[in-house]
Amino acid sequence: MQTKRLTELALLATIALTIFMVESKIPNPIPLPGVKLGLANIVTVYAVYRFRPKEVILLLTTRIILGAVFGGNMMALLYSAAGGALCLLGMLPLHRLIPEKALWISSILGAVFHNIGQMTAAILVMKSLGVAMYFPFLLVSGCCAGYFTGLCAQFLLQRKPHMMNPAQTLAER
Amino acid sequence: MKQSKLWVVLCAAILLLGVAGCLWVLRPTGGDTVEILQDGKLLYTLDLSRSEDQVIEIPYTGSSNIIQVQDGKIRVLEAECPDQICVHMGYLSDTGLPIVCLPNRLVIQYQQAGTDGATG
Repeated sequence: MQTKRLTELALLATIALTIFMVESKIPNPIPLPGVKLGLANIVTVYAVYRFRPKEVILLLTTRIILGAVFGGNMMALLYSAAGGALCLLGMLPLHRLIPEKALWISSILGAVFHNIGQMTAAILVMKSLGVAMYFPFLLVSGCCAGYFTGLCAQFLLQRKPHMMNPAQTLAER
Repeated sequence: MKQSKLWVVLCAAILLLGVAGCLWVLRPTGGDTVEILQDGKLLYTLDLSRSEDQVIEIPYTGSSNIIQVQDGKIRVLEAECPDQICVHMGYLSDTGLPIVCLPNRLVIQYQQAGTDGATG
């Protein structure tokens, strides 16, 4: 990996981590486990459409691990890791099918994949199906949060179409 | 264009499914029996209409939850966890929605009809 790529990814990870930390300091108006806006995923969605799959995985893994370390919530690491893994598993193929103009759709579907991953981890950890009762609430919140973060990433891509564009950086090589 | 409409319909369907699921979960159960589970194991079964006011402490590897039963209602009074979500949830509502403490692997729920014994 070229130094320039690595720097771009590091910068994105820093931005995502900053958003993540600021968001974690804002009290959650909906006191349900697993429900949050997930503003840091603006960066994730952006990266899915601008970087190679390998690089996106690297970026998200860094964000999740460092986020858990800085946030001091190691228990949340498992759920966000499971959610993040499934989210990428769904979004990396989906971004080839869904054009950039409809990015918010793949963001919503990514959020839903994230919820499925979270829920699976929670059921396995708690060894109880009681937590599954939260799944519909996660779905609704995932759709709303995914729509919002997707729109943010979409506006970002439209305003800055060539910033960190892989095609451009490839041409420079 | 037609394909993107298909995706919108899919998203709408997921949202509707979620809303319907929420309504289903939030229906009143009408039960009085509450189960406290930790790590998938049934610790307590309480009949809220008959049980007296009490405070139960449930330890879990170094941290613990303090559960309060008062006036036929149950809630998590204190929790040693970073997020405090279970405390903020307040009293257990008479629906299918349990109180969950993910860090301490605790579930407080109304006993669902038909699952008697299945969880024990």
